[in-house]
Amino acid sequence: MDFFKKKRKWDLEVDVVVIGSGAAGLTAAIAAHSGGAKVAILEKAATVGGATAVSGGVVWVPCNHHMSEVGIADSRDEALAYTKRLTDGRSSDDLVTTFIDAAPQMLRFVEEQTSLKFTALAKYPDYHPEFPGGKPGGRSLDAGLFDANELGDWKKKLRRSPVFGMTAMSVTEATEWGVFSKPLSLPFKLLGERYAKGLVCYGGALTGKLLKAVLDRGIQPILETGAKELVVDEGRVAGVRATKANADYFVRAKKGVVLASGGFEWNKKLAAQFLGGPLTHPNSPPCNEGDGLVMAMSVGADLGNMTEAWWCPSLVIPGEEYDGAQLNRGDFATRSLPHTIIVNRRGQRFVNEAQNYNDLMKPFFAFEPHSYERANLPAFIVFDSQYLAKYALMTYMPGRPPPDWIPKADSLEALATKIGVDARGLAATVQRFNGFAREGKDLDFHRGESLYDRFYGDPDAANPNLGTIEKGPFHALEVHPGAIGTKGGARVNGDAQVIGASGAPIAGLYAADNVMAGVTGAGYPGAGSTIGAAMTFGFLAGRHAAKQ
Amino acid sequence: MPEVEYVTTVNLPPETIWEFVKDMNNWAPMLTGYQKHEIIDDTDSIWTLKGDVGVLARRVELRAHVTEWNGPERVSFTLTGINEEVDGGGTLSMARVGAASIAPTSNASTALAKPEGLFRKMLNGIFRFFFRLMHGKGPERAKAGAPAENASELRFVLRMDAGGPTGPLVNAMLAPALLPAAEDLANKIAAHLEKQHAA
Repeated sequence: MDFFKKKRKWDLEVDVVVIGSGAAGLTAAIAAHSGGAKVAILEKAATVGGATAVSGGVVWVPCNHHMSEVGIADSRDEALAYTKRLTDGRSSDDLVTTFIDAAPQMLRFVEEQTSLKFTALAKYPDYHPEFPGGKPGGRSLDAGLFDANELGDWKKKLRRSPVFGMTAMSVTEATEWGVFSKPLSLPFKLLGERYAKGLVCYGGALTGKLLKAVLDRGIQPILETGAKELVVDEGRVAGVRATKANADYFVRAKKGVVLASGGFEWNKKLAAQFLGGPLTHPNSPPCNEGDGLVMAMSVGADLGNMTEAWWCPSLVIPGEEYDGAQLNRGDFATRSLPHTIIVNRRGQRFVNEAQNYNDLMKPFFAFEPHSYERANLPAFIVFDSQYLAKYALMTYMPGRPPPDWIPKADSLEALATKIGVDARGLAATVQRFNGFAREGKDLDFHRGESLYDRFYGDPDAANPNLGTIEKGPFHALEVHPGAIGTKGGARVNGDAQVIGASGAPIAGLYAADNVMAGVTGAGYPGAGSTIGAAMTFGFLAGRHAAKQ
Repeated sequence: MPEVEYVTTVNLPPETIWEFVKDMNNWAPMLTGYQKHEIIDDTDSIWTLKGDVGVLARRVELRAHVTEWNGPERVSFTLTGINEEVDGGGTLSMARVGAASIAPTSNASTALAKPEGLFRKMLNGIFRFFFRLMHGKGPERAKAGAPAENASELRFVLRMDAGGPTGPLVNAMLAPALLPAAEDLANKIAAHLEKQHAA
């Protein structure tokens, strides 16, 4: 645009403008400020934290310095071998190497510059721990709890998670207390007291501690200010046009603009245009509409990994809303616990239900050439009264009758009819599955064989992930295609500079988090891979921009 | 059990407030969160409402039961959750300023006067109010001066108690939403009446 020719006045002039206030944006801001830059953070929403704040807040960092504290060894070679395999060729080896090498540096930097002190989750396995280089735990890190009162007036501006944020317990505690398999054993009185005091956990704790560090540096995120357009001057990104209070707001970035505004999962047009499957029920805040992607495209960014997302199956409680939209609850445990299966409209299983949520979703999109339909959509999770007696179903605790809106029948045949599934197919599938459950071995999909599967299972069950479905009444819930974010976007180099279609970096423009082409390609290496990569490239971006 | 009480002064006599409040149609539009309701009989009804729990909004089904109908002084009610483990109740009372305040009664032991035809309208409004746990800024009211000679005290007492093992946690989430809800409705009623009668 001819911005400078018009000599329009900037509303704000800084060295580095960060767009978005999730973990990537806040880390970029801290890194840039530490490098001597004057920083501004623009956030479209009225609260700070983006998708990070509603997440589990776990950070995946191979070769991190906390692994030795829990007695788990790691090596660069193992981390590289493991991560490269999971990219499925959709990310460059060079970028993976950058990530593996820079992530531990980022972690130390963040711990030096903020109040964050992570704990390695010794029992939280990588998502394919049996692959070469995979680990049984330790690469995923817990941010602990955070007293939001430390934020002063900013306390109310910290985004709260509608799922993880409701119970103030650390990931370490959740694991020890058996949050999935023993929900009734959770210390709800203590959790109520913590909630009342203002303690937050998971993504809220991670974001809260990063926000505190940002505020301590005198950087106050500028909220309800959505970046709309990159201002380019003589081939260099020189600033941003944002919208603030329904008016243009121009911010000059003397050294660089860091895009860290999340994915495009709530943008139906972009999702339909790019993704490899129908994403109907995203799990992130509805403000993730691909603003950063569109801005990057508009200045000629090369794109990568556009068909991929951090897929996650979603369950829905009708009428439950978050930020004015239907809340789509990511399902991490229901499908992994005994007495459940997932079936398609033929009543057939098609996947290891306890598989990690990213890889689990891919068979949902299987294409039938003869019918031009998705073979496994719609899909339903089917369970019986044994499940309901022992485990929680979303927010419904064990032992309570489930709400009336959940389809229910005294026989599997009747249930199948209610949900539009082939009755004979379902009966045959359940009969076969029950045989596997009794034998303790899933010969079709190997459910329960991976350490990962068992992490989300019931350790007290004969097989943590298998149990018969035979005691009525029987129930079913539709499982919707969801994602915690998309992971296609602008390709970047080792300094997180956005690469143009010509192959050269676009001067002054950086990207991190789900705006950038995901470094892990198709795969999801372990809990916190999204945030670990986001913070690492945010760190690289902020550090490099400050030096310009 | 989270319980809140909100009292505001209205520069109008209790009888005037009652004339307005007893007809739900007068003040129900001031409430949000209402989805639908079904009248069971003269004292009971089932309500579907939308309210905030922590940071998310959920639909809640409740059985409402009126335990006292004593205009122009007081109406009391109880609530029992159908799809959620939550119970509650409340009292709306009006008294002339300077007169002895009317203590909220403990519902069940109070004799239930026949609510007659107006009961349902009143009931509707109260329970819609109860779950007005949505966001929203309260109404602008004229700056309070000395109460007029015939001013009234409008008092809401509301309580909710989540049951089951998660009760302590859910109560912690509900508590912060109750007082703003009570304040909001009481002030809207007061603002409306004061404006109407100032004209």
